[in-house]
Amino acid sequence: MNFPLSLSDISLWLAVTAIILLVTSELLYSSPEYSSRVMVDKKLLRMVALGCGLGFLVTVAMRVFYPF
Amino acid sequence: MVKIRTSGAISIKIGAAFLLSGILSLILSIFYSSQILAFVGLGLTFWGALFLLIRPMRYVEGSLLGSTTTSLYSTIDRLIKDSGYKGDGYYIPPYPKDVYLPDHLKGLKDTVVFVSATNDTNMPSIEQLAEGKFLLENPKGALVIPPGSGLLSQIEKASNIDFAKTQLNELCEIFPRFILENFGLAKEMEMAPGEGQVYLKTLDSLYKNLYSRESNLKSIGLIGCPLVSAVACAIAKASGKAVTIQKQKVSPDGSEIEVWYRIVQG
Repeated sequence: MNFPLSLSDISLWLAVTAIILLVTSELLYSSPEYSSRVMVDKKLLRMVALGCGLGFLVTVAMRVFYPF
Repeated sequence: MVKIRTSGAISIKIGAAFLLSGILSLILSIFYSSQILAFVGLGLTFWGALFLLIRPMRYVEGSLLGSTTTSLYSTIDRLIKDSGYKGDGYYIPPYPKDVYLPDHLKGLKDTVVFVSATNDTNMPSIEQLAEGKFLLENPKGALVIPPGSGLLSQIEKASNIDFAKTQLNELCEIFPRFILENFGLAKEMEMAPGEGQVYLKTLDSLYKNLYSRESNLKSIGLIGCPLVSAVACAIAKASGKAVTIQKQKVSPDGSEIEVWYRIVQG
């Protein structure tokens, strides 16, 4: 009974999620007329997007120093 | 006693459903060693957590903003009518927040509107402002807390800017951006500084109903709606001088509001 995903899989998943969130966040920030009608905490969304991006970079760094 | 609670927002229910099914999927993926289930579980858990995290704190219908302020304007209307005041409303700038003031002068840190009894009148003295009086005898008039002071404090808090330390040109750039992007109080907003004057134009302001004929508020022409009032407070703070609303022009449907502020010299 092992977790079926490797670090490489999680890295890929983080990259895809980070791209989706970063693009959403940028779209919300660049069009204030529409984003004022979208009821989400934009700052928190951006923080989560950046967190996912950083998580992906950490997995990349791990790949460089400890190849898997 | 009947206790009524509002049901939670739909985003909480969606978030919880995503989170639970995601966790279940992750557990099953370990049992069956399935990569597909693991990816599905990871995705559902993440989006579930995100829905719970980024949900709005609380939103109310925009028309409520106008209707909750009507009572304040009606009170000022009664005061003006009862006292027979026929003067203007002067926004008096406060002292900067970081300046030390002794306890008896703490009242000087609030922006106030001086509603004068006559057009040609002197400004109240520092002592009168510091005392926090409501009705003044010499000069005759009333000191009212502006309806836009709360909005201005919130803008200052959100932007982390003290308008007392900004230039008028800078203010005219920053203020409309904050109103539109962070608060969505109007559809369009324009501010332009002039010679001893500032021009403001708003389109589809949430407070436009206050200007309607049905409301019939006299004080709105004197001190402006909360948005117009917040701008007047900001101009007074930035210029360090008293500001008065020289002219207000409202389109027949109330969607376009134009305001000319005059910075009182001296």
